[in-house]
Amino acid sequence: MAGRIRQLFRLWRVQAYLDFLWMTRDARYFLICFICDTIINIGTVTAMLLVAARFDGIGPWTRDQAFFMLGYGSVVRGVVNIFCGFNIFHISRRIGRGQLDHTLIIPQPLWLILLTEGFTPIQSSCSLIPGSALLCWSIPRLALNVTPGWVALFLLNLLASVLIMVAVAFLWGSIAFWAPRAAEEINTDVDGALEQIKVFPLDGLGPLLLGSFVTVFPIGLLAWYPSQALLGLRPAAGLLLTPLLAVAWVALAAFVFSRGLRHYVHTGSSRYSAYGHRS
Amino acid sequence: MAATATFGDNPLFVLGHVISILRMVVLLSIWRMIGARHGMVGEMTLSAILTYTLIAKVFGGLLFFKTSFANELWNSAIVTRFLRPMPVFPQYVAEALAVWGTGFLLFRLPLLLLAPLLGVNPLPPHASAAAWFLLSLLLAVLVGAALELFFGSLVIAFGQGDYVVNNLRMALTILLSGAVIPLGVMPWGLDRVFAWLPFASMASAPLRIYTETGPPLPLIALQCGWCVVLWPLALWAWHAQRERLVTYGG
Repeated sequence: MAGRIRQLFRLWRVQAYLDFLWMTRDARYFLICFICDTIINIGTVTAMLLVAARFDGIGPWTRDQAFFMLGYGSVVRGVVNIFCGFNIFHISRRIGRGQLDHTLIIPQPLWLILLTEGFTPIQSSCSLIPGSALLCWSIPRLALNVTPGWVALFLLNLLASVLIMVAVAFLWGSIAFWAPRAAEEINTDVDGALEQIKVFPLDGLGPLLLGSFVTVFPIGLLAWYPSQALLGLRPAAGLLLTPLLAVAWVALAAFVFSRGLRHYVHTGSSRYSAYGHRS
Repeated sequence: MAATATFGDNPLFVLGHVISILRMVVLLSIWRMIGARHGMVGEMTLSAILTYTLIAKVFGGLLFFKTSFANELWNSAIVTRFLRPMPVFPQYVAEALAVWGTGFLLFRLPLLLLAPLLGVNPLPPHASAAAWFLLSLLLAVLVGAALELFFGSLVIAFGQGDYVVNNLRMALTILLSGAVIPLGVMPWGLDRVFAWLPFASMASAPLRIYTETGPPLPLIALQCGWCVVLWPLALWAWHAQRERLVTYGG
């Protein structure tokens, strides 16, 4: 086990170095990517940010609470970007295009490759900037008792939200094992939903839709619910809901993914012709 | 062909539409929360902003005009377009309109008809607003298409693939066009600045005309102005860049 963990860090270091080389091979390319990605990441939350600023909050959220939620959601996305680049998050592309073969021939366990191959700390670093800035701005303005315990719970919930986001992507992406052509881009649609809806306060929805957003399609667990729990707007037990559901989501995604992989091992991919073109 | 390909290439295309409608439902709930607290939502009545959000969704593909042009610059599919005996860019415009038409007939039109079930009045206050809206919508598509051609040319100019340019354009359009958040609800008087930008002529102008929260003639005049400015610029950019186009296939 200790050897595996050492290997994990070694591979992360290699990926970080490769990412550094990739991004700095051309200063112009690096600057364009960095500036554009920062603008894109700011743009994701700016609309709600402006609405919260204009109306001094949204529904039951005060302005600073809304900023906290937007910052939390943005940091979740940033962490996912950093660890799941190169189509690890959009796993349906790798599966649907038959590129999983490239991964399977590497003499490492699949989980280790999936955990390390998408590590892009340089090119994705800008995706952490807007979220971190929002958290730094909002936390001192909220009547929060920031103790080491609260920070630990914050990090636990953050990790849980990240795991849920990745688990949802893998669960939906696994459809590509059975429908490689049709589902190749399914993660794009799912990602769109997660990104577009997670920044909204969901309080105004009816119980059915709200319940679905916390369980069946857990967009509410990516920012809305954990933020409420961390801000003390929910009973203390609510702080454990997101981590517990994260365990369930990861288990479900791992089960479905392994079933799909078993199917893939028998059928392989038929997407490439003998002369290399993809159908 | 493009319309039928929607079904053949991706039977899961339904998912995208469902997600898009879900987002609209969430946005409607936010306007209701704000309306319940403040009475008005900025300078708009609650009823007007709900209609605005619904119409933005129903005509979304036209108000946020997007083709596969930049993407095909990246994946090289554009090469085969040059071989066809017709201009290149209009092929993309025609395809985008066909794809939008399919989504409109199957999802957006039923959404429009079922809007009262969501508590939203889909009708404009007066029939004249609908007439002005159609003209403004046409101009919005022209402005959007010009920006599409211009940003596509930037993909070649930057030589960085379509990812950066596309996403940058998307981020700017979402924020500045008023397609998601009406410019009138923005703080610090930002709407007075954003309203003059070409992005506002893509979505905000027709939607304001439909909901009668903006005067039709000045808005349409501004859209015409942007068409006059953007089309020569976009055509110049495309003609300057197309000879620099290098593709490998991917």
